[in-house]
Amino acid sequence: MVVLVAAACGGGGPVGAGPSDLSAQAPGKDVKPAAKITWWHAMSGVNNDAVNRIVDGFNKSQTNIKVEAIFQGNYDDLLAKLNTAIASNSAPALVQVYDIGQAYMRDGGQIVPMQAFIDRDKFDTKDFEPAVLNYYKFQDKLQSMPFNSSSAILYYNKDAFKEAGLDPEKPPATFTEVADAAKKLTKKDAGGQVSRYGFGPSIYGWLFEQLLATSGAPYADKGNGRDDRATKVLWNSDAAKKILSWWKAGVDGGYFYNPGIDNDGAANAFNAQKTAMYIESTARLRGHINTVAGKFQIGTGLYPRPDDKPKDGGNIIGGASLYIMKSRPADEQQAAWEFVKYVLSPAVQAQWQSDTGYYPIVKAAYNEGPSKEWASKYPQFLTAVNEIRDSPQNRATNGAVLGVMPQARQRTQKMIEVVLLGQATVDAAADAAVNDINAQIDKYNKANP
Amino acid sequence: MRHLPNYVVLVIVALLVAFPLLLALSYSLMSESEIATFPPPVLPQAPSLDNYATVFSTIPIGRYLLNSFVVAGAVVAGQIVTASLAAYAFSFLTYPGRTLLFFAFLSTLMIPWEATIIPNYITIRSIGWLDTYQGLAVPFMATAFGTFLLRQGFLQIPKELHDAARIDGASSFRFFRSIVVPLSRPALATVAIYAFLSTYNQYFWPLLITNQPLMRTTQVGIAQLRFEETLRWGLVMAGVVMVAAPTLALLIVGQRQLIRGLTSGAVKG
Repeated sequence: MVVLVAAACGGGGPVGAGPSDLSAQAPGKDVKPAAKITWWHAMSGVNNDAVNRIVDGFNKSQTNIKVEAIFQGNYDDLLAKLNTAIASNSAPALVQVYDIGQAYMRDGGQIVPMQAFIDRDKFDTKDFEPAVLNYYKFQDKLQSMPFNSSSAILYYNKDAFKEAGLDPEKPPATFTEVADAAKKLTKKDAGGQVSRYGFGPSIYGWLFEQLLATSGAPYADKGNGRDDRATKVLWNSDAAKKILSWWKAGVDGGYFYNPGIDNDGAANAFNAQKTAMYIESTARLRGHINTVAGKFQIGTGLYPRPDDKPKDGGNIIGGASLYIMKSRPADEQQAAWEFVKYVLSPAVQAQWQSDTGYYPIVKAAYNEGPSKEWASKYPQFLTAVNEIRDSPQNRATNGAVLGVMPQARQRTQKMIEVVLLGQATVDAAADAAVNDINAQIDKYNKANP
Repeated sequence: MRHLPNYVVLVIVALLVAFPLLLALSYSLMSESEIATFPPPVLPQAPSLDNYATVFSTIPIGRYLLNSFVVAGAVVAGQIVTASLAAYAFSFLTYPGRTLLFFAFLSTLMIPWEATIIPNYITIRSIGWLDTYQGLAVPFMATAFGTFLLRQGFLQIPKELHDAARIDGASSFRFFRSIVVPLSRPALATVAIYAFLSTYNQYFWPLLITNQPLMRTTQVGIAQLRFEETLRWGLVMAGVVMVAAPTLALLIVGQRQLIRGLTSGAVKG
């Protein structure tokens, strides 16, 4: 692995150590964009079609640059392929990498930070969703351009709410409210078997990250790894233990369903009305509505938070972003930036939203036709938009950045699983997980100075 | 009649073993909302081919199948030729250092495939074979496992046959072609089927060295049917059925040979 950390975007320095203007890292303004660049992405199925629509639109909108979009498997496959390509100097100019690959991309020194182009062109980001932009910043510099973004919300079955005597227009918002509603929604058949659970989240590390954020608690030290390289994770904080205890109590009480580490399983259980509420990404909304096809009414609510609703708690966005690769010649970087700017235009953003269900990144997109149509078709989406807009912006809600984020996410899943299955106490499970990942962080930081 | 209980047991076990496959077929004919009902249905209420139509409109599945067949076919041909010739050299020819060479050959089985990816990729790239059939097939045309299997098969052939052939003036190649190959058909079929299936099921290598959509293979196609955020089981299952059907056909045709091949060497005789 080539480790070339550019001084300005490198990890070790104190807050604000880099120059305040990153223009110098971008190619000169007068560099003529390359005639052809390649973009690797991980969007399959309908999202792949949506990607192709954007690229076709760009290629037709001008005659100088031709972008070729190539599907490279899921996010992990794409990163594996990118590693191979970097080793043989054949990386593309533009790549889509998932949210948790952020530190990895930055620390490898293989990218030109997006901020360099923004500073050079005095590009205006005033109209961008702050929550989305902030996720992709390190030391307040934008590393990559958010592309597909989603957040987590509460999904609930309105018909089940009515049946259980709950107000279908008032979804529960706090941990205790969710637990109380779940108790009422849990239904047993004649044989005493549970035929419907009140609440059934998958053991998914991302959901745990979100629960910490709505608690206003950081996931890792050093400002969630955004002021400087994180050195340890904070999963044994009081806030984290409160989340684990709440989850465990629900499962033990028989009103939370535990689908295991299985996001699709949790989604299917909700579709099949085996669970009446669950938490997941907004990106699944359209899929749910189409699959349920009117068999019951789907409601969306704010993501659960602690009972005292901490002021500094909010939601983190997830998804993926676009990186411009440093190893490509300046003219290709230039062409990639031209394409990125096209992707960010309100009309393209609105089309992307209506094709995929991801957030538009620029607010002006909501005034465009396709976006308005989408909002009227899926009014539940508004919950998600409001949730992100109302989230206070601080290090907890910016989300964590770790070089070993994929491993950390997996480790939290194991931690939660061990707690839910009663194989360890909350304290013991959290401490063990923290120790494991701290050791890995240490190793990572030493390997990527 | 006295075999009836046996058949009942066999049918039940066969159904159990085939259940995942049959369920995939059944799901591929269901709509998404039907799959989502609880308890999960086993048979479609209103079978429809919509999922298959969606597969055709989402990915060029015909082209992917063609690519997979071309590549897997080339690998089968390559492995049969290289493995049988190498096995012949390791079983019938005598020369100094044969055993040592054979063990050196076998030791390559211990090298994890992952360790060779990057060097292989760099080689293929430097000779300009990215996005080509030869790039997909050539790196897999030699096989230590297949050579080992064939060598064990060849050792079953009585040495006297070799001697007799030599006395009658047959060259090594003549003996190989007229005696060894016909007698080793089961073992050759085993190597062929094994090579076909493992190539057909490759995912990472084709993904790595192809960028043009039209040069990709079936397994990459299946990945394209998996939507990151919402998994549509019916669609994925339709794709899986289409991709699995040819391999099943191959297995049925080659089954008899395969079983004989795998047990050859297990029993002396």
